[in-house]
Amino acid sequence: MNIQTKRRSDRKHTPKVQMAGLYTRAVRDAFSKLDPRIAVRNPVMFLVWVGTVVTALVTLDPNLFGPVNEQPNQQRLLNGLITVILFFTVWFANFAEAVAEGRGKAQADSLRATRSDTMARKVLPDGSTQSVPSTALRRGEQVQVRVGEIIPADGEVVSGIASVDESAITGESAPVLKQPGTDIASSVTGGTRVISDELLIRITADPGQGFIDRMIALVEGAERRKTPNEIALTVLLTVLTQVFLIVVATLPPLSQYVNSPTTIAILISLLVALIPTTIGGLLSAIGIAGMDRVAQFNVIATSGRAVEACGDVNTLVLDKTGTITLGNRLADELLPVHGHSLDDLATVALASSIFDETPEGRSIAQLAEKLGAKIDFDPDTAEGIEFSARTRMSGINLPDGIEIRKGAVEAIKGFVRSRGGIATPELDAAYERVSKLGGTPLAVCQGNEVFGVIYLKDIVKPGIKERFDQLRRMGVHTIMLTGDNRITASVIAQEAGVDDFIAEATPEDKIDVIRQEQAQGKLVAMTGDGTNDAPALAQANVGLAMNSGTQAAKEAANMVDLDSDPTKLIDLVTIGKQLLITRGALTTFSLANDIAKYFAIIPTIFSAAGIGSLNIMGLKSPQSAILSALIYNALIIPALIPLALQGVAFRPLTADQLLRRNILIYGLGGVIAPFLAIKLIDLIIPFA
Amino acid sequence: MKNIQLREPSLLRRQEMRCDRQKNPRFLFLFLCLNLMVAPAVHAANGSDFSRLQSYALGILILVTVALSIYLFVVMFQPERF
Repeated sequence: MNIQTKRRSDRKHTPKVQMAGLYTRAVRDAFSKLDPRIAVRNPVMFLVWVGTVVTALVTLDPNLFGPVNEQPNQQRLLNGLITVILFFTVWFANFAEAVAEGRGKAQADSLRATRSDTMARKVLPDGSTQSVPSTALRRGEQVQVRVGEIIPADGEVVSGIASVDESAITGESAPVLKQPGTDIASSVTGGTRVISDELLIRITADPGQGFIDRMIALVEGAERRKTPNEIALTVLLTVLTQVFLIVVATLPPLSQYVNSPTTIAILISLLVALIPTTIGGLLSAIGIAGMDRVAQFNVIATSGRAVEACGDVNTLVLDKTGTITLGNRLADELLPVHGHSLDDLATVALASSIFDETPEGRSIAQLAEKLGAKIDFDPDTAEGIEFSARTRMSGINLPDGIEIRKGAVEAIKGFVRSRGGIATPELDAAYERVSKLGGTPLAVCQGNEVFGVIYLKDIVKPGIKERFDQLRRMGVHTIMLTGDNRITASVIAQEAGVDDFIAEATPEDKIDVIRQEQAQGKLVAMTGDGTNDAPALAQANVGLAMNSGTQAAKEAANMVDLDSDPTKLIDLVTIGKQLLITRGALTTFSLANDIAKYFAIIPTIFSAAGIGSLNIMGLKSPQSAILSALIYNALIIPALIPLALQGVAFRPLTADQLLRRNILIYGLGGVIAPFLAIKLIDLIIPFA
Repeated sequence: MKNIQLREPSLLRRQEMRCDRQKNPRFLFLFLCLNLMVAPAVHAANGSDFSRLQSYALGILILVTVALSIYLFVVMFQPERF
């Protein structure tokens, strides 16, 4: 799958990121990164930096570290050229990092534009309101927000129902309904605007700690820490650098012994050519670009570690509804049982759904009304029974004591039995019929009598099967969790192509399945939005919370999807893998490059030792060979900046296939390319 | 007035505090002192080929190389600091 294409086609309108002036700023930042206090953070490039200073000194005085045999002016020219090339090697590496950071900063600026210091109407303990700046609000305080006003900070709706325009954050132009008491719709984000009615909001974040503030800090890289893989790679590169430093530092006595004395500038050139400058210079840019790619996807990661973990994920735990199937299941058919008529069933189904505001509940009410059903009681006198994951049913208690319930067939059977009723094979037949169609059967009862089954139609998202196939090829195991019965779950699982499923799952099952997978040494990713998902989101290696979810879920997760699209978890896995593949490919390329550089510089240093035959590239002269190798070494960094920022093209292959492919392209290519490039540079430069 | 004077740190203490704040000049000073030991050894090893200035410059370069090696070891063992 091509991520770039996928992104363009799938994404909703997102806030515009201002990229103008990015490169001008990067050029400036690349110079400011030459500050030794900043340069010291990158060990490989810091050595090049020190080398540049030393070669600059020997340019001023070629005899500074000892007498040289050649003409001082000729030596000065060579040293000067080496200094310039080394300077640009460091500068190009700084530029790559500055460009990557600049893209993050541009993203942060677009987010910052959504945040404005507004005046808030704070509710005092006596019920009166006081106008205060949004920055003066503290966690736990309550504010009133009226139509047209901007919500001053992140919070939970305490009372009121209103439409909120969240386009500044999500890019989604359709307003979102916010109301208290629901997991999904009660959380509001600072910076969004109320476009109808009014809300009473309890503030959940102190100034500077809000969702947008944290996002800005993360995208800008202010809180960027090296990820475990980056640290491991830094150690590897440092070990290699240390080894080559020791080798080069102990070379002069050896070269004296073979009567081929060498200069400090050439030794520094050899050191720079040997150490892995390509990956050393691009390493941080690759990491920053990975975070940026996730941010461009409208997902905010709390750390680079989370993005990397996406690439290592072995198991995906996915909710069926909204992720695998289209979110809204709609009532399609009513199946009466026990001799009840369709009209009776429609009336009871309508009564059971009168307080149900979910899309499913509304669709049941609509279907029942379409069939001519009407309620014969005053809803104000009845008591609504909300759905809970524990009871797995909802309904209504009428004033005359009649209990009407709808819910999972097993739950309704239990309810009916507890009221002295019985469940007949006819109910089971209707249940199986709906399940075999891949739909969700909901039983409806009044008191101890079952009236029939509602067929809720579930539609598998188009293209989801192909995406699961790709994940399988990458070695990622998919598990679908659903509250549906086993038959429905198996039909949907087969249709969607998931590897495994857990039917009749409770929220606790999520955390159990994650723990089981982790106990086998696997990394698990999951999505969630409710407060009851928070423990599982925290337990998972990658927890993707929906922006529409509760504050608890967002705080427990290490990623937040601003578009609230759970399917994005699959995209995040591919982005994470792309990041790891890019880093691996460029490391392979950088190390493979060394071979050509040995063949360019070693024969030069030991020319008197009779190893001139090692000059297999037929380079014009020792000076030309050194300059060609160093020019290549410097130019390869900017040449690879686009690859580092965009990432290596992703293909859904297994780890072994990817390794073989990368060794062939970046390993073999990394050996051959510098031979050709160094020879070409040698032919171009007029240094005989 | 007397109390205020008593609370003021002594000149020596002020210099110590300044040194604590600015570690680089102290390291540079120690570095050059160390070179007073290294440079004569370099000069002795190279005989009359090297001038006094060249010996001191090479001594500094040797110390810079050793310092870089120590720095790389620090990165290897405490990579999260960088």
